[in-house]
Amino acid sequence: MARPSSDRLGYLLVAPTVLILLSITAFPLAYNLWNSLRHVVLTDPSSAGFAGLENYRALLGDPQFAQVLARTSLFTVVSVSVQMAVGLMVALVLHRRFRGRGLVRAAVLIPWAVPTVVAAISWKTMLDPQSGVLSFLFGVDTAWLAGEWTAWIAIAVADGWKTVPFVAIILLAGLQVIPGDIYEAARVDGSGAWHAFWKLTLPLLKPALMVALIFRTLSALLIFDVIFILTGGGPGDTTETLSYVTWREFLVESDFGGGGAVSVLMLVLSLVIAGAYTRLFRLDRREG
Amino acid sequence: MRATGHGRRKARALPRAGFALLVAAILVSSLLPFLWILRTSLMSSREFSGGVAGLLPADLTFSSYAENFADETFLRSLGNSILICLASTVLSVLLATLAGYALARLRIRGAGIILGFVLLAGFFPVLAMVGPLFLVYRELGLLDSPAGLVIAYMVYTLPLATWLLKNFFDQIPGSLEEAAMVDGATRLQVLWRVVVPVALPAVFTAAILSFILAWNDFAFAVSFLQTPSEFTAPQAIVNFGQSQFQIFYNRIDAAVVVITLPVVLLVLFAQRRIVSGLTAGAVK
Amino acid sequence: MRIARLTVALTTGLALVTACGGTDGGKSDGADAGGGPETIVFALAGLGPEGEATQAAIKDFERANPSIKVEVQVLSTDATQYLQQLQHRFVAGSGTPDVFKVDGIYPASLAKAGWLLDLDTLKPDLGAFMPSSLTAGRYQGKTYAVPWFINTEGLFYRTDLVKVPPKTPEELVAAAQAAMKANPKVKYGLAFEGAKYEGAITAFLAMAGGFGGKLDPANLDTPENRRALRFMRDSIHQTKIAPQAVTGWKEGEVQQAFSSGQAVFALNWPFVFSASEGMPAAGKIGFAPFAGTGATLGAEMLAINGKSAHTAASWKLIQHLTSADVQVKRALATGNPPSVTAAYNETLFAEAPYFKQVQKVAEVAVQRPVATNYPKISDRLQTMLSSVLSNLTPPEQALTTAASEVRDIAANG
Repeated sequence: MARPSSDRLGYLLVAPTVLILLSITAFPLAYNLWNSLRHVVLTDPSSAGFAGLENYRALLGDPQFAQVLARTSLFTVVSVSVQMAVGLMVALVLHRRFRGRGLVRAAVLIPWAVPTVVAAISWKTMLDPQSGVLSFLFGVDTAWLAGEWTAWIAIAVADGWKTVPFVAIILLAGLQVIPGDIYEAARVDGSGAWHAFWKLTLPLLKPALMVALIFRTLSALLIFDVIFILTGGGPGDTTETLSYVTWREFLVESDFGGGGAVSVLMLVLSLVIAGAYTRLFRLDRREG
Repeated sequence: MRATGHGRRKARALPRAGFALLVAAILVSSLLPFLWILRTSLMSSREFSGGVAGLLPADLTFSSYAENFADETFLRSLGNSILICLASTVLSVLLATLAGYALARLRIRGAGIILGFVLLAGFFPVLAMVGPLFLVYRELGLLDSPAGLVIAYMVYTLPLATWLLKNFFDQIPGSLEEAAMVDGATRLQVLWRVVVPVALPAVFTAAILSFILAWNDFAFAVSFLQTPSEFTAPQAIVNFGQSQFQIFYNRIDAAVVVITLPVVLLVLFAQRRIVSGLTAGAVK
Repeated sequence: MRIARLTVALTTGLALVTACGGTDGGKSDGADAGGGPETIVFALAGLGPEGEATQAAIKDFERANPSIKVEVQVLSTDATQYLQQLQHRFVAGSGTPDVFKVDGIYPASLAKAGWLLDLDTLKPDLGAFMPSSLTAGRYQGKTYAVPWFINTEGLFYRTDLVKVPPKTPEELVAAAQAAMKANPKVKYGLAFEGAKYEGAITAFLAMAGGFGGKLDPANLDTPENRRALRFMRDSIHQTKIAPQAVTGWKEGEVQQAFSSGQAVFALNWPFVFSASEGMPAAGKIGFAPFAGTGATLGAEMLAINGKSAHTAASWKLIQHLTSADVQVKRALATGNPPSVTAAYNETLFAEAPYFKQVQKVAEVAVQRPVATNYPKISDRLQTMLSSVLSNLTPPEQALTTAASEVRDIAANG
């Protein structure tokens, strides 16, 4: 239907978007690859030169980096699982009709819209051992950010507060497109609510669940702002994640070779995960 | 406990009080941090640092807000953020309209790959881009400049806006355009005069979401901006309210309230659009 | 397989991108190309009273030197970020700022990178400065920075709760516990900066001084340092004179705990005197070295950009800022201790007698290591302290590991 003359126009219209995105994503990727094979330390210009795989060797041979990878992955798995569960619960609640539902929906959306930095600062204030809400209400003066596990809990709470609404909104939309008569049929069969939830709701919700899961996994894997504000990687280096290490290499150590190597690994990891999810999703669709 | 069916029916089986409690818990956990910050922001520094504050500020005062608004660096950072976020919003909605329309309507070889790439770009690790862009910006003089951030923010805004608008254009029936083209209008004229007016709701949605996403940035700002007079608001509050050693939490918290307000208002007034934008294509 | 095709698309797009780079020109630096007065750019951190005092000093300077205009560039208050902001400008080869403030731990690394002007060429009167504060500005026998004002971290104590400052760490613990028991309003025995940042290092150094330890990058793992580190950890986790919250405290929180009357002892800098005005602790503040001998010297230095086109004017500004009169004014307005000996005079003592105590602490105060790669050393020490104070790693083990890392960093220049 489109005329031949439309073709060139089409490319022309797409070009700015594609070029801009290429120059801020693909180009940095390639530049990172190049830098990762070289010594590029800005504060020490004399050391510049080709380094081969030395940056990667240093990184992969560093037991601390293995820990960074492990704790980033653990955080991703645990926090995303909890966020999905809580998000589903919130979505189920919001799906029901009750007075003031519109207001509650707006309230839930607010944390999502608040800048991450603000979320982190708010939670830092909330968890302050002297002036925080727990100390105020219960006299609990735990320094949450001083312990390894408690610091991670604080990070997960602040991150979850900001991201659960997103999960809930996506899942709520998924719930809303499930036709009601399916449940009528189930009721005729005499199956219970719990049964209906497992056998009908969850499978039908799968597309929405997958979308939320992909988004959440990739952003949890790359968590940065919350950690920067809440712990600065501490106590010790126990809350340093992939993104935090990258930032430190680039902007504290001015080491663009080492930072490049971490970046490349980080990108490969995200692509593999994105690819795996998409694959799973598609296989699933074909079978279902 | 046996319940039958779903939705409204389940409500009867579940104790009403339990459900109300659940709703209350959701409300409180959503709003509490914000209310707590609001409380601190209304205290005097004296009351706060005294260490014995009540639930409500004893001497309720807006002095932190007054001090913030008398502080040039704070005002500037607010202005910077508004300027940068508006610029990247307008730019990305404009470009996304063009690209989304082309991807939806025109014959482009590899359209699938292009769309795939645009979406994938949205998942790109931001911190991985910081290093190389820093080096390039240094050469181009874009460090410490709003322009550098406007470009970088496209990675938050363009993928989403393009995807949203392409989806919307897909749903508009082609008959309107064909009629206009029979009348001799060019594709671009059709786009501006026929398609965009119909697509205005989607354009607004894309703009609102883009603005919120850009407003959220911290990583780019903290990496590229060096002079406090150039800082964005989220970046400024991290260093805010400190002289060399002293720290004024009430002023930090007042600043937090101020920079949160625009997005809270957006959420309250455009809730439906935000939700529809976030979920577009997610549940098909 | 879409991913594979995408990667191909990505990489082919590169050629395009690199080709269209470089269209935007760089920012020009030539702010003062015309005739008129000579403009120098002065970079510094900090607003509030410090900023006002600096502005006042600059106005005086401009009045005395009508041909020079000073443009102030305010950078981050966070010492680490401040350094990064300076470095980014130098790396870019910028001629501005012409003159700038820099924390005493950094001039050596900036000088090594070749970014600083050798001040010996300007024949400075080095004898005027407090001798201990000069070393921070020297690198390979040359002077690259002179102290603007010094700062001394020592032990603040409440004169109404403790008659004489403790002579040993044990005395301090005993006095703190006694005061906490006797007075329910006193919640903390000791407050110090324990957050993961530079301040934890200065606090540690002050305590280490009380045990006879010091920060020698080549040899950190000494018995004295071990005891100091153990004391620091135990104060939170065993003797419990310090709250667990100090692991998140910086100078501001420490000062608030002390000024509000909640702490008996606090490690901090002299700004506590002025910041406590009108607070419960006012008028009951003593200041002494930690356990008789421990104190940290911090110096804010002034240096000139090696690429500056206005070295003479910049040097004039430095001379003005380090003259005794200007220093006394600043000390009275901000509580910043002067860096020149002549400023510790009757005018100063008459208005602010506490500078006598500050001067005493300054006499025993020691610097953090002067090393070209101090930022990296600092990063390791911060992580080590954070780990020990949170009781994640035993002090001895943490110190041994950090000592060998730091030794390597220092050796590899």
